[in-house]
Amino acid sequence: MPSHDDSMTLLETTGLSVTFGGLHAVEQVDISIQVGGFVGLIGPNGAGKTTFIDAITGFVPVSEGTIVFDGQRIDDLAPDVRARRGLTRTFQQLELFEDLTVLDNLLAAAENPKWTDMILDAFHPGRASTSTADVDWALGVVDMADTCDRYPSELSHGQRKLIAVARALAARPKLLLLDEPAAGLDTTESQALGEQLRRLVEHDTTVLLVDHDMGLVLSVCDYIYVLDSGGVIAEGTPAEVRNDPNVISAYLGSHADEAGADDASESGR
Amino acid sequence: MSYLTFLVIGLGGGAVIAALGLGVVVTYRASRVVNFAHAAMGMYIAFAYYELRATGDMVLPILGLPARVPLLDRPTEVTAFALCMLLAAACGAVIYLLIFRPLRGAPALARVVASLGLFVYLIAIVGLRFGGQGAAALVLDGPLPNDLVVWGALKVPADRYWLTLIVLVLAGLLSLGYRFTRLGLATRAVAGNERGAILLGISPNVVGVVNWIVATMLAGGTLILAGPIVRLDPATTSLLIVPAVAAALPGRFNSIWVTVLTGFAIGMAQSEILFLQSQWSWLPDIGLQKGVALVVVLFALVLRGDVLPDRASAAGTRLPRASNARNVPFVAIGLLVVGIAATLFVSSDWRSGIIVTSIATIVALSVVVITGYVGQISLATFAIAGVAAFSMVRFADDIGLPFPLAPAAGILVAVAIGQVIALPALRVRGLNLAIATLAMAVAIEELLFRWSWFTGGFEGATTESPSFLGIDLGVSAIGDAFPRRTFVIMTLVAAALSLIVVSNLRRSSTGRRWLAVRSNERAAAAAGISVTWVKLSAFALSSALAGLAGVLIAYHRTIVSASSFGVFESLIAVAITYLAGIASPLGAVLAGVLASEGLLTVALDSISDSASSYQFAVSGILLIVAAIKFPEGIVGIRSAGGTRS
Repeated sequence: MPSHDDSMTLLETTGLSVTFGGLHAVEQVDISIQVGGFVGLIGPNGAGKTTFIDAITGFVPVSEGTIVFDGQRIDDLAPDVRARRGLTRTFQQLELFEDLTVLDNLLAAAENPKWTDMILDAFHPGRASTSTADVDWALGVVDMADTCDRYPSELSHGQRKLIAVARALAARPKLLLLDEPAAGLDTTESQALGEQLRRLVEHDTTVLLVDHDMGLVLSVCDYIYVLDSGGVIAEGTPAEVRNDPNVISAYLGSHADEAGADDASESGR
Repeated sequence: MSYLTFLVIGLGGGAVIAALGLGVVVTYRASRVVNFAHAAMGMYIAFAYYELRATGDMVLPILGLPARVPLLDRPTEVTAFALCMLLAAACGAVIYLLIFRPLRGAPALARVVASLGLFVYLIAIVGLRFGGQGAAALVLDGPLPNDLVVWGALKVPADRYWLTLIVLVLAGLLSLGYRFTRLGLATRAVAGNERGAILLGISPNVVGVVNWIVATMLAGGTLILAGPIVRLDPATTSLLIVPAVAAALPGRFNSIWVTVLTGFAIGMAQSEILFLQSQWSWLPDIGLQKGVALVVVLFALVLRGDVLPDRASAAGTRLPRASNARNVPFVAIGLLVVGIAATLFVSSDWRSGIIVTSIATIVALSVVVITGYVGQISLATFAIAGVAAFSMVRFADDIGLPFPLAPAAGILVAVAIGQVIALPALRVRGLNLAIATLAMAVAIEELLFRWSWFTGGFEGATTESPSFLGIDLGVSAIGDAFPRRTFVIMTLVAAALSLIVVSNLRRSSTGRRWLAVRSNERAAAAAGISVTWVKLSAFALSSALAGLAGVLIAYHRTIVSASSFGVFESLIAVAITYLAGIASPLGAVLAGVLASEGLLTVALDSISDSASSYQFAVSGILLIVAAIKFPEGIVGIRSAGGTRS
């Protein structure tokens, strides 16, 4: 593990394990993400990537180990509390609020109202939202400002993916977890997404990108963890990971030519 | 020994609950519908049987067909029973084919509403066909022998044993039928995986029709045999669905024997509690036995639920698009002005219509908030309204709180009770939440509304006429001056304010969070929205609106009666609001117009004397049609075909 100043560590898991019944979905995973980093987490299907994200964001209970975020233990907090502390995520399946416009989708995520706001809302609904600037910024990052009055069902799959990213950004998170943002996109869309994601670093957002699309992860991340069968089998810079024998053997068989195979299957839809 | 006697007497009620629970399981297996009208269907068949025995007329349940067909002069028990089983079979088949087959794959709320529509229709039709006296006019000499069987110190009427035996035999036949007949296997295949079953060449329609016929005959047959035990009555008999669903829940609407055992256990526990109440003076002498079903429901549901739905079952309740409600405050003010102007000129009947419509609008807004905007199906609206009404009288009588304080305190109590009712919503959703809140509503009705201290006992709960700053706001007056215009205007103002508040909340940060939770609870939590807080605060507002309606009903009636706040009223409220447009404040106004005794009733009455008596039955039909054809409600039809693809 590269040595960093501890104060710069944003997220650190120690011995993190998730067990469903007798099945160890995630086992003894230690990862560490520094402020400003663009970290990738890759692994073949069923490696436990989504379960790992679910554990960090509070959607599945941690069976063992600790999660420290921004200097504090968070493993007992509810998902919404973790989100308000600055840990937001996207979902593999699109989970946009279908009943709200794009703008309201982002506002709902950006706002952090107190209970008194409900009373204010009842009598003075037209107040300007304090989060409009954040929402405009998030829409600008993904270049989707022109869609703000439309409903998610009116957008293409690729556009919806970007709105999902924008919604997670709108709360100005310290750490953004992206769960397979390229799933269902064709090669060009996937590359365009990669470029837009890369821009997040310029906006001081730390990112953990989870995907099985090696091409995307290798091209945008500066540090990569490789997960297989619930455990970390390799970590390092893209160059190190690319040549790691463990990684190659994990990917051989299921994904002989990982990036190429994925792209072919996705564009063949 | 008397402990045992009451336990054995409870076999009768237990057998009824077990048999109805079985019917719920049968229809659920075949069509994934929890049919809230199941007991009501059996109730109608039983009414038809006793009427046929007494008069020789077969009473038909379909509006537009002749009400009764003279069949035989003096049908024997066997003939009458056989004819009514044919009627039950026909009803089961028609109801499945016309209503629940088109709703396969429809969202939970649409299916709940369709069965509520059927429920409303059946109760209305029994009222129309059998007259105002209902069951009181029936001669309930059941087909089963009911002489006392003496067994040592145990003296129990024979029909309890017979009914138990029959239900056990039927359950055995059903479970054998599911195991060994082709159709039974097909049903299990459809219940397990409908698409897979279709691929194997099994027709889900045949499976559905046969199972619905079996279930309806089961319900009708049981209630005919148990007529003397349950003392047939449209309201109470059709609400036997609550313990029946409670019996089916622990077996997840799938297990025949778990359902039968739970059904018997509920019936026997109820009977035993009745006895204990007479033995232990410290037990309240009120409807504790109805609490048994609630306890079973809560144990079965809440202990099993999760705070957030898991990855696999994340699909939300599909509800009509929520209008952005931007113009509603202006419409509300416009309606208020028109309403006040009308109040000054129209006759007494129309003023009563305005009062009822205003209050029903507030009730409907309570449903719009919790179900339309947050997606939580609550069937306890009127239970909460009743709590506010009775509490208000207690605060006024016992503590002497004056006008604006007593109703405000009553509404606060309603909000507190609403938070208790909201607790299951934190762990269960959709249909299961509907069941939990229904069980809560029944428990409140039986426990609180029969508690003589709370409801004023023998003297009843009389409201003090409200007055504020020297202005008399009461309703009472002599002759044509009733209802007083200031009271009419007060209800109009309350309705207009409620409309403005709800629509303001809809288009602000609160409304965004409501709809986010309605769309997708997991995504809402990931976006930093506290799903628990959103549900509790929405239940609080919804309860406050229900409570406001409750205190207005109390002032309107001047004497508060539990009959204004029954479970049936709650079911109607949800159903009519859905029909009018459940995700729109203006839908709530339309629901107010459609409400019984509201402006539509007054208009119908002014056309013809009998027109309004068909209102409920017609609403029931409209509801079923709406659930199938226009899931967005009447207000949504205009914008249907709009943006949603």
